[in-house]
Amino acid sequence: MNTYDLIVVGAGPGGSMAAKYAADLGLKTIFFERGRKPGEKNSSGCGLGPRMWRDFPNMMRELTQEKCPSIRAGSAARNYFVNQEGTVAGYVMARPTKSVSYEPAKSWITMNCYRSEFDPWIAEFAVNAGAELKTSTLITDLLKKDGKICGVIDEHNIKYRAPIVIGADGAVSMVAKQSGLRTKWAQDQITVVPQYDFQANPEKIDDIMGDETLAVWWSAIFPASYQVFFHDGFHQGLANWLNKWDKNPLVYLNRVINLKYYQRLLRILNAKPRELQSHLLPWLKYPYNTHTDGIILVGDAGGFPCPLEAEGIYPAMVTGKAAAEVAAEAINSENFSKDFLSKFDKVWKHTSIGEEFEAGEELYNIWKALPFSPQETMTWFVPMFMEIMGGIYDWSQPHAKRVRQIASQIKSYMPNALPFIMKYVFPLVAKIFEDDLDKMMDPQKLMSALPKVLDLIPKKKKPRRDDM
Amino acid sequence: MKNNGLTKHTPGTGDFIFIDQNRCNRCGQCILVCVVNLWRKIEYIISISEEYKEKCLECAACYQVCEADAIKFHYPSGGTGIIYEKG
Repeated sequence: MNTYDLIVVGAGPGGSMAAKYAADLGLKTIFFERGRKPGEKNSSGCGLGPRMWRDFPNMMRELTQEKCPSIRAGSAARNYFVNQEGTVAGYVMARPTKSVSYEPAKSWITMNCYRSEFDPWIAEFAVNAGAELKTSTLITDLLKKDGKICGVIDEHNIKYRAPIVIGADGAVSMVAKQSGLRTKWAQDQITVVPQYDFQANPEKIDDIMGDETLAVWWSAIFPASYQVFFHDGFHQGLANWLNKWDKNPLVYLNRVINLKYYQRLLRILNAKPRELQSHLLPWLKYPYNTHTDGIILVGDAGGFPCPLEAEGIYPAMVTGKAAAEVAAEAINSENFSKDFLSKFDKVWKHTSIGEEFEAGEELYNIWKALPFSPQETMTWFVPMFMEIMGGIYDWSQPHAKRVRQIASQIKSYMPNALPFIMKYVFPLVAKIFEDDLDKMMDPQKLMSALPKVLDLIPKKKKPRRDDM
Repeated sequence: MKNNGLTKHTPGTGDFIFIDQNRCNRCGQCILVCVVNLWRKIEYIISISEEYKEKCLECAACYQVCEADAIKFHYPSGGTGIIYEKG
């Protein structure tokens, strides 16, 4: 008899964590993967963040290059700024700053690893904990008896029974659909993410990129494009919500590849395209409909990728663990009702993921309006940013005159920048600081610093040559 | 960049994408978002390439973008379809 305590549909990071923790808690658990092995169907989400090492230290310290040869950690990230003419107007490279509070976050920003290696690695923890993994198995429907969930069925009509099912089956979740939790995402809740993988020599990557591990290409001619470096290659991809494309997504991705600067980078890295990938990525202000009678959704299936930049693996792991714990409680209480499973929301809201979503709407809004609105926003943002960053490195005029030219140029972007700041920056700042904002913005405190500055300004205005 | 040779598939998927011509409103969004250009409009009829089983990346963007609910999608048979070795 294929009877279990818990069924998990999906063996990505969310499903494997759910299966591992459920097995650890003594539940007879099975988890399913439609590919021949976990990770075979997955692309992207491959920059692993340090919170995984903080929250799952025993597991993550076992992630070594022996286990996952593609792994590459790096301490630096680069932001390229590409203008309307397709020129890299400048870039900023940054490392973890003084305020970063723990290791390994002080040492590196992301650990990058192909999903074809990471997902099998993480699934092994579940198998070692006693969960049964069934690969090459497409689960096609939920089993119900008297209106209650009692298992799942695969494409060959094999039935698996359990009183509770965790849907860890990704953006196009069968579990979400068949349980009535969600037929489709709204168009502004889901992005499509095409991505190229390039092969490159590991020594060349190290020589040329140093300890840079990822880059974001901010641009006026394509939605922000990310670049993630692995041991012997890198990904270049971009995303946007399904209602925001006016051309094929690949047209925009190819604009990145065809930048003169990018072509030079490919030449010096001697990089060759190796794979084309594409996937859907839920990107929401806030997860909703995460559970119902006998069902819990985790990871992408539950809409948990980060509202700012859609990091998905870590939220999948956290929600997978939370779902397993709640499932175990439900089994102990023999209560699989929607009401009982609402504990799942309480649990994840108390995690780092819950805290992330507290400002979910504001984070989502600003990100969507900035790098993902290239024509509307980046056309003024890139030149404004570069005026600030790059304007001073110029010997065309006396420096004081340059500063006035720069100030005048920046002023010309204000009709665009100020409404943006009012609409997106202020709400985010207000949300993040809440009560502290009053103290920080206290006019008396701000003014107390000002008179000394004002004393420095000459009372009489001297005539300037550029005024004449 | 040509995309030929940049994807690998295991055969035996069976059919997994279907379009209901009675529901299709010819909006063309499926054509717009398909990264491997599998959809086409010929004389106002939208259809998917006969080779889709060997070329589809299984992203399901066509299904998700279809507001007329004309496109039906389920994942291909277990162990078949797209293989990402460097995903």
